[in-house]
Amino acid sequence: MTNTSTIFRLSDIRRTYKVGSEYVHAMDGVDLEIDDREFIAVIGTSGSGKSTLMHTLGFMDSPTSGQMVFEGNDVSSISRGERALLRASRIGFIFQAFNLLPRLTVIDNVLLPLTYSRKVVEDKHSAGMAALERVGMSHRYSHTPNQLSGGERQRVAIARALINQPRLILADEPTGNLDSKNRGRIMELFSSLLDEGITLALVTHDDEVAEYAHRRIRMQDGKIIEDSRK
Amino acid sequence: MNPVGDALTGVSNGLREVWASKLRSLLSMSGIILGVAALVAMVGIVQGMLGNMRASFEASGGILKVEVNKRAPPESQQYIAGISPGMTWRDIGAIEKSIYLADFVTPIVDMGWERFVANGRREGAMLKGVTPGFIGIETREIKYGRFISDTDIHLKSPVIVLGSHIVNDVFRGKENVIGEQVQVSGQLYTVIGQLAELPPIGGAANRWGNFENRMNFIPATTAMSRYRGNDTVNEIYLLANSVESLPDLVGQVENTLTQTHRGILDFEIRTQEDRLRELKKLENSFTYSLGGIAAISLLVGGIGIMNVMLASVSERIREIGVRKAIGARSHDIFIQFLAESVAISVVGGLIGLVASVGLLSLAQDFIPQGEMINIVPVTAMLFGFAFSTTVGLLSGIYPAMRAARLDPIEALRYE
Repeated sequence: MTNTSTIFRLSDIRRTYKVGSEYVHAMDGVDLEIDDREFIAVIGTSGSGKSTLMHTLGFMDSPTSGQMVFEGNDVSSISRGERALLRASRIGFIFQAFNLLPRLTVIDNVLLPLTYSRKVVEDKHSAGMAALERVGMSHRYSHTPNQLSGGERQRVAIARALINQPRLILADEPTGNLDSKNRGRIMELFSSLLDEGITLALVTHDDEVAEYAHRRIRMQDGKIIEDSRK
Repeated sequence: MNPVGDALTGVSNGLREVWASKLRSLLSMSGIILGVAALVAMVGIVQGMLGNMRASFEASGGILKVEVNKRAPPESQQYIAGISPGMTWRDIGAIEKSIYLADFVTPIVDMGWERFVANGRREGAMLKGVTPGFIGIETREIKYGRFISDTDIHLKSPVIVLGSHIVNDVFRGKENVIGEQVQVSGQLYTVIGQLAELPPIGGAANRWGNFENRMNFIPATTAMSRYRGNDTVNEIYLLANSVESLPDLVGQVENTLTQTHRGILDFEIRTQEDRLRELKKLENSFTYSLGGIAAISLLVGGIGIMNVMLASVSERIREIGVRKAIGARSHDIFIQFLAESVAISVVGGLIGLVASVGLLSLAQDFIPQGEMINIVPVTAMLFGFAFSTTVGLLSGIYPAMRAARLDPIEALRYE
């Protein structure tokens, strides 16, 4: 039975790759329900399947088999175009390497997802400035990414993830390139997003970072071997 | 789904990228700039030249003019070619008597380059013996005096009609030289007429002026008796009374001359239609060769764009991954890269057009026949621009497809 506040449900998800003549089972029968406003940390060793899980949740990858239900709709076999539209409108991505486009200014980077989500926004600049304000970066809107520190870049990347008011934010080692001071600030920022109705899932190797999450999922050999809530 | 909106988004992203990488964009459009500039400049020069040839064609009698020239008889007649008297004064008489489809007839007794002496000065210029019909065929204005008359022909009068070059150089400072004496290669002539000066071909910038101003005319009979000692003429010009009568006129001239030349076909009759046809042929050969050169240079430009776009795709794999991760569909990426390629070629084409106008203006100052150039050859400009845009579009398709096909996960992992 699916909880009414469940936004994502994965049932018996398998993802198999063929590498040469070998088959690699990156996800091997994963069952997972993600509730609204949850803060989940996905942990596991390298090759455990946590990145494949994140790509699947972010509609970047399709499972080989199994069922995916997002916001009550079966999205197991939707087209690439529909997956792209869901990525643009309902999902926010945050990467370890920030992945801001160096030739664009801070505000243009933040506004980029609006281009692809096809959302009608009356005043894009104001929306971008509001997102930057939310992460404390509005004063740097006209700078380019290479004029910012690592922590500032990640805050801009968070503003970019927020611009389309996503339901789910997926973060892949978001503090991996940051010092401890910036790591703390970014994690505080993540925690505050839950109050705005956003669900968070992050992949990390760092137990300290995982401590911020309300739920911890440990993966090994493509399976969830631990799913614990605080 | 809004295809127009998607395309506009792609174009705006593409343009932004072109602007963001100005030097790379400029280098990649250099082939297109040179291709378009060279094409338009060459067409401008050729069009101007052909236009000038047409103008000179109109000034020398236009479509109604018929020229009879000497030529070697056919091989089958060569052993009896000697029985023909050749082109002579008698041909003029026969044509005037029997041909009613021509309004004017004149022989050309070409004396070539002669030395003109008067007023203590000397100058070289051309001398031709003609009849009054000449002024009806060639459009020349008499400034002072009159042209050669039938009486001058009859009396073999020692009179001359001068072009402006001799008047200006030999009679320097005199506006009207009617009644003056001029010695031409030892023979004395009285000036009876002065031709109005023709403007230099190409305007004042042309220091050579107009060659027609160096032409001077005496009665054909005077030329034959004073210089030749026989009645041979070099050419015969006729002016048909209508375009419709041209074929019949050619037939009549052919019949008459075949008779006077005792059946020997040692003459050829050329209508201006022949010249027009040759002009058209010349125009076509220029068009095809210039088109070929333009196509090759623009294709090279296109390969340059494709090369730069492929390099750009390889350079921006991670960016493509980021764009896809935040929601770009494959066709958004395709349109973005295609738009970049088209933007490069459109901007390159526009710069090429501006450069071509600059080149043509510059060339006008250096080419003696200045206005032989068409500074703004609109058709060539439109063609060059459309072709360069198409080349940009085609050369962008493959790189854009490569970019669009990239898997977002693989692209994000790319270092």
